[in-house]
Amino acid sequence: MPSALPPSDTTNGADHTDGQDNGQTANGQYMPQLNRAPAGDFMRPAARSRVGSNSKTNGVGVQVEETRICVVMVGLPARGKSLIAQKVVRYLDWLSITAKCFNVGSYRRTGTPHPSASFFDFSNKEGERLRRAAAEAAVVDMCKWFRKPDNLIAILDATNSTKSRRRWIKERCDAEGIETLFVESKCDDEELIMANIKEVKTTSPDYVGQDPEEAAKDFRERIKMYERVYETLDEDETDLTYCKIIDVGSQVIINRIQDYLQSRVVYYLMNLHIKPRSIWISRHGESMYNLSGQIGGDADLSARGQQYAKLLPSLVSKSAGDRPLTVWTSTLKRTGQTARYLPYEKLSWKALDELDSGVCDSMTYAEIEEAYPQDFKARDEDKYNYRYLGGESYRDVVIRLEPIIMELERSENILIVTHQAVLRCIYAYFMGVSQEQSPWMEVPLHCLIKLTPRAYKTEEERFHADVPAVSTWREKGSKAEHSVPTPGQVSSPVLQGVEKESAQVTIS
Amino acid sequence: MDTLLTADLADAASSRRRQSSTYVDAIHELPEKASMAPAQLYSTESGRLFHSGRIVIATVGLPARGKTHTSVALARYLRWLGVKTHIFHLSDYRREYLGPNGAVPDDYFHVNASTSSVLLRNKILKKCREDMFRFLDHENGQIAIYDAVNPLSTGRRAFAKEFEKKGVHTLFVESVCTDERIIEENVRSVKISSPDYLGWSPEDAVQDYLKRINARIPHYETLEEPDLHYIKMINAGQRVIANQCSFNYLSQRIVFYLLNLHIKSRQTYFVRAGTTRDEDSYKADASLSVEGQDYARKMADTLLAHRESERQNLIKHGAPAGTALKPLTIWTSTRRRTVETSEYLASLGYRVRQRSQMSQLNPGVCEKMSERRIRLEYPDEVHKHEMDPYHHRYPRAESYHDLAVRLEPIILELEREQNDLLIIAHESVLRVLYGYLMACSATDIPFLSFPRDEIIEIIPASYNNQVKRITIPGVEGKMVPGSPEGISIPVPPSGFVSGAVSPMGGLGTPARGNSGTQTPESGGSGDVGGTGLLPIRLGNGGSVGSAAAGQQQQQGQSRQPEISVTEPKA
Repeated sequence: MPSALPPSDTTNGADHTDGQDNGQTANGQYMPQLNRAPAGDFMRPAARSRVGSNSKTNGVGVQVEETRICVVMVGLPARGKSLIAQKVVRYLDWLSITAKCFNVGSYRRTGTPHPSASFFDFSNKEGERLRRAAAEAAVVDMCKWFRKPDNLIAILDATNSTKSRRRWIKERCDAEGIETLFVESKCDDEELIMANIKEVKTTSPDYVGQDPEEAAKDFRERIKMYERVYETLDEDETDLTYCKIIDVGSQVIINRIQDYLQSRVVYYLMNLHIKPRSIWISRHGESMYNLSGQIGGDADLSARGQQYAKLLPSLVSKSAGDRPLTVWTSTLKRTGQTARYLPYEKLSWKALDELDSGVCDSMTYAEIEEAYPQDFKARDEDKYNYRYLGGESYRDVVIRLEPIIMELERSENILIVTHQAVLRCIYAYFMGVSQEQSPWMEVPLHCLIKLTPRAYKTEEERFHADVPAVSTWREKGSKAEHSVPTPGQVSSPVLQGVEKESAQVTIS
Repeated sequence: MDTLLTADLADAASSRRRQSSTYVDAIHELPEKASMAPAQLYSTESGRLFHSGRIVIATVGLPARGKTHTSVALARYLRWLGVKTHIFHLSDYRREYLGPNGAVPDDYFHVNASTSSVLLRNKILKKCREDMFRFLDHENGQIAIYDAVNPLSTGRRAFAKEFEKKGVHTLFVESVCTDERIIEENVRSVKISSPDYLGWSPEDAVQDYLKRINARIPHYETLEEPDLHYIKMINAGQRVIANQCSFNYLSQRIVFYLLNLHIKSRQTYFVRAGTTRDEDSYKADASLSVEGQDYARKMADTLLAHRESERQNLIKHGAPAGTALKPLTIWTSTRRRTVETSEYLASLGYRVRQRSQMSQLNPGVCEKMSERRIRLEYPDEVHKHEMDPYHHRYPRAESYHDLAVRLEPIILELEREQNDLLIIAHESVLRVLYGYLMACSATDIPFLSFPRDEIIEIIPASYNNQVKRITIPGVEGKMVPGSPEGISIPVPPSGFVSGAVSPMGGLGTPARGNSGTQTPESGGSGDVGGTGLLPIRLGNGGSVGSAAAGQQQQQGQSRQPEISVTEPKA
């Protein structure tokens, strides 16, 4: 054995799999649990190994440290910073990367709930002191939050409009061993700014109960105060890692990106746009397997499924009008057959294929319970992480859907015809549904869901086709005896608390 | 188009291009018949994944700024993604046009050159563009990479306009260096080994090269045109400016890829997983057999011993005695046998990361069917598969192309990773990753072979990666029963010698290899391993197969893979 071998004690054994508990048993034997997907391993940077970083190895070529990143927003008010921050948190959460947004404004608000524009005058000493204190409090909380090992990305949402403020944040983070990624949204397009002010800011907590006209006017005053001292990220700050997005992505400047996770975040930011658009999603029409209660497979549509396919174009045009659309399907027959009559460009994506149920493919739930009773139970206990033997878990599906989400962010109007599990994952991304809930969400057959991303939430509408279908929804702990077709079924039980506008449109 | 261009000339142009340093993907050699699953060709009309139309990527930058490195890396990535991409190095055309003994006029690189030099330049330019249009219009090409200096704003606008007329977007990629050291280093290590300096002394070559650069400098305009699509990379990617780059899917992907590109050297090792206890299948996820566990241990010991000897070697060659190894990270799939193969290394304290994207190619319904039965039940599928084994997808299976798409995040992390990396995965995954690193053509990837008794080490070099094979003693490659190969699809056996491309050929050899002994005209007379089906058994069995040598020679020959043999379950 070579002399350079590392010591064989496994004191750092827990590090092998990013701190997941699927590695070690009590006697120290390495026992990976393969029917559980390890959490959050997808985009995690392998380690920090850059020259000049404070990376440490244990001397035997084993990395021990995780990257933690503070994304620092930079930009004048009404430049969409909070929107970006929110989307990034939602995206990362969806990928099981723990992220949290620290909004300095909300810290400031506890002391000064409804400040007037003069509060933001940089010559107003008291205002300046309070705003500094708010920033301080946010940073302290953030550093505290980072001490928990799973917490990887924090977003500091504030204007951070001066070089000295940014330098101060960088130094604070450096001291804690946290990487900083500054993200500036710079926009000089008056129209865009005004639209943002109208849509978002007048509903801000700072202006609760005030006349919207007055609020908008005061807000413009506030922006002017910031403009006086605003310094954009420039040549003086070339040592910082930053991404500067000019006029909603028409130009992007990326400086000193350090690792994969940062590049991934930057890539995501580059794909965002703010053009109004909607995304329609539908499951395929009822398939022969749906009728027999089998899962997976590559079955044809049933007669009723074909009927849905015929109705789909009118259902879509009722909702989308004559907007240009692109249709995405999976590579399985039932989605292609469902999209068959749609008069739009169609693309088929392997990544939209149904969750692979491995050995259980083409079985009914009752058969699965009989053949694999343990697995069946295990799946109920943690459906998100349960991976079918030889197949996939919801977590795996999310990982393979990530490029789809990226492409969805970049695209405009898209209609996706896909499968139950995949639809749940996409829906969870847009609606921020938790991992505990999303695998249990009911998505009825023969129903078109329209999602419209807005600044602070995604709006949802559902359109039901008047074509009966079996329900494929299986309640936790049940065998999913197929229920009788119920046209116009109610929507998902998991959506409580999610604000939505529901439209029940029936087409026959 | 050129009215003087006769059919003969056009043919010659095409073959010249094939002989150029970046050989044409062998998939392009297939006859273009409608019956040939057109949906698998990526273009706007195809309605498949890369629905982004055609793009010309034009490099911008003074010599020795890494334009070629960037072109090569991009082409590697795009081709690997399944996008039909070809690099057109303008300098190859110049060398080709002037012939092996032709001299470049002194004022050739000057803006105010003499009429004859301008004429010469224009002729060379014209040939190159004709080939690009031919590639994009008639050969189903999707991305043409135009590797040239493109120093002037007016020239760039005209270029973009010319291609826009044909519905081709132009994306400029500029490499700018403000750090003189990067430039000089690049000149020394790369440029003076180019065929232009065949027979020159290194000092003279550097001098001449810098002179050529200097002749350009007064006339160089950096990219600032706000209306053009461009990516500007400053000091090897330290800063990247992306201007109007959100025009399509691929352009964004390209920016993202460039963000992850680094130029530091590190090793990648590929090994197979150990063999499993039960008869394994894709769906059943079996544990390692006793032999498999034994293999895992021997593999790890061999690898660590090899790394230690490399370290000693460094020290022997003057590195300080305390020189540490680059940290080793291990990636496995989430399949039981790959994870269990890494178990021993994990117990030694090495960091193991499971990546669900790295599970093997899904064999679909044909798993474990005999070839005869597949032929009987799915004759159409077999036919399609034979036409295009890379893109074709058996029922419910993944194609290699699907697998490549699934592995894409892994590729970017691979580019980003600065530690040494051991990848333990199924052969199908190794094929695809290897195919990326060694720029294998899509037609070859499904046939690459990774014997279990070898560790494949990939050593990056400036223009092309190199491969080293490390034999694991005590493991008999042939005796070891294989993990499931998925589909028993008709493929040539591992030892099959095709007349095709040696996958050892790195994409990035505009200078016909770093040996500096070949010119484009010689068509790859160097015979180092022109035959092997990859990573294995390079003719001389030497430990290092140069990726540069002689891969184009047989390019023109017809490529008829033997399809009558079932791949042995090695």
